[in-house]
Amino acid sequence: MWTEVFTVFQKYMGTGLIMIWFAAALVFLFLTEKNRTRRILLVYYPVVMLLLYFNPLFADAFCRLVGSEIYFRVCWLLPVSVVLAYSTVLLAEHFKGKMKGLFLAAVLTVIILSGRPVYSNPLYSVAQNEYHVPDSVVHICDAIRYEGREVKAAFPYEMLLYVRQYSPFVCMPYGRDMMLGDFNDLFSLIQRDRIDVKELAELMNQQGCHYAVFAEKKEILGEPQDFDLKLFDTIDGYVIYQNLNLPLEY
Amino acid sequence: MVAGILILGLILLVMPVIAGSLFCHVDQDAPRLLLAWVGGQMLLWAGFLAVCVPMVLRKGRLSEVIGLYLALCGLLLAAAAGKYVVQRRRKTSENARVQRKGLSYKQSAPVWCLFAVLLLIQLAAAGMLAYEEGDDAFYVAVATGTESSDTLYDILPYTGATTGTDARHGLAPFPVWTAFLARLSGIHPATVNQIVLPVVLIAMAYAILGLLGCRLFEKDPKKTGLFLVIAEVLILFGGQSLYTAENFLLVRTAQGKAVLANMVLPFLLYLCFVMTDACRRGERPSVSLWLLMASAAAAGCLCSTQGALLTSIMIGGIGLLTAASFRRLRILLPTGICCLLPMGMAVLYLLL
Repeated sequence: MWTEVFTVFQKYMGTGLIMIWFAAALVFLFLTEKNRTRRILLVYYPVVMLLLYFNPLFADAFCRLVGSEIYFRVCWLLPVSVVLAYSTVLLAEHFKGKMKGLFLAAVLTVIILSGRPVYSNPLYSVAQNEYHVPDSVVHICDAIRYEGREVKAAFPYEMLLYVRQYSPFVCMPYGRDMMLGDFNDLFSLIQRDRIDVKELAELMNQQGCHYAVFAEKKEILGEPQDFDLKLFDTIDGYVIYQNLNLPLEY
Repeated sequence: MVAGILILGLILLVMPVIAGSLFCHVDQDAPRLLLAWVGGQMLLWAGFLAVCVPMVLRKGRLSEVIGLYLALCGLLLAAAAGKYVVQRRRKTSENARVQRKGLSYKQSAPVWCLFAVLLLIQLAAAGMLAYEEGDDAFYVAVATGTESSDTLYDILPYTGATTGTDARHGLAPFPVWTAFLARLSGIHPATVNQIVLPVVLIAMAYAILGLLGCRLFEKDPKKTGLFLVIAEVLILFGGQSLYTAENFLLVRTAQGKAVLANMVLPFLLYLCFVMTDACRRGERPSVSLWLLMASAAAAGCLCSTQGALLTSIMIGGIGLLTAASFRRLRILLPTGICCLLPMGMAVLYLLL
């Protein structure tokens, strides 16, 4: 438990530098702040929250009730930005003229070097549309939508997060769980470089899938029509096979 | 689309300001508009929780939630209008129009310009950059599914399969609130979650920091502006860890947990500031302050199931520290009452 609590805190700190400045700011405010309200909220309260976070009884109870993987959320009770920004402004008041500007520039540089730009995360990309999902997902979901009922389609890994965000009319035999380590044999088949259509048709029938979507470049083994599969469309580099064994009309 | 945006403007900006005018007097020194907007939104979120959770538990429909919630909003707006009329009459009869001191931005224009530029960068990025966020596959899909099926937590968001009511997630129905916005505006729930709400909620997070800044620097515009710029840089460079509140604000803005971390908890901190300051001056915190605090705690429960625990810890912790520091044990009773609903939600979570 103890190790877990420290590991979570380490993950929360990242490089740890911001937390070092936070601790320094707490000490600074403890020594200089005269206003009792501010002392309570910006010094005593954060210290009590830190003690609470590292309290084994509290940590044990929280992790048992809610789960250790989200214990880091207790750290949100620490007003890190407020304490740091407030103490920086107070410190800046000790300087006059150019020195004040230099001090503030230095502080901002230290913050920039201690942290990491949020937008530098490689998971960011320019949005392709107003839904913030890939265009290919929008086009494919629109193409397979059938008026008056839902359809079920198997999608490849890169589309799993987006299909249900965009379309409530397209269901899937598996979802994000696949990215978290769950197994589904249809998903596993679609991820292969070579796709055996006989196996594909069997699994689509088993899992009640009207469509299967995968990259156009994948090699197909066998003749789809022999297993009642029809090439429905090719969109944005993806092929869509329709399962004729499961008619869409009621 | 234009009509949808106007409707969202009405729901997200105008309605909260009117509802929040009920509580503007809890802090006489705060910028009224900011306090009304944020306070009103907390009140409306609390109302949505009160309407939606029972509906989830009794397997109701989204349209029923919307009907009841709009009725509640109507009552709140009527109360706010009534209060306005009464206050106006009182002011006219007493002829005592007190001129409020506003923030003077003239001397601190460069700082505020820098703040505005940095804020615009964040708002533009929220609209133009997409983030591959795994949890959106759950929360946005819940909103999309709820809006289209009119059910509450009866559909597995990852696959679309029908299931029994997911009451545990239903105790923090923030995605249903986003589905409500989508239904009323006619804008796709994904667009509401990925563009509209991030823009509004990021602005709201800074409005709360602004309230705190005004309180900390006694309305000194230059210091408040500087405080906000430094907070902005801390947020923009808060990517040292995926777990920080700052990172959640920019990356997962419209998820309930980001709202909890960046709006509800900082606003509670602000309200605690008002409460503690009143105790320091030997005054009694107003009933409106406690109501607003209880509303913010309820809003925390709407955002996330952990909101119940975190809001109670914050209110309870600061309440105890204040009571001990100023020997004002009496404030423990209202702070305890503010924690009642979150505690009840936590118990319900454990029971389900």
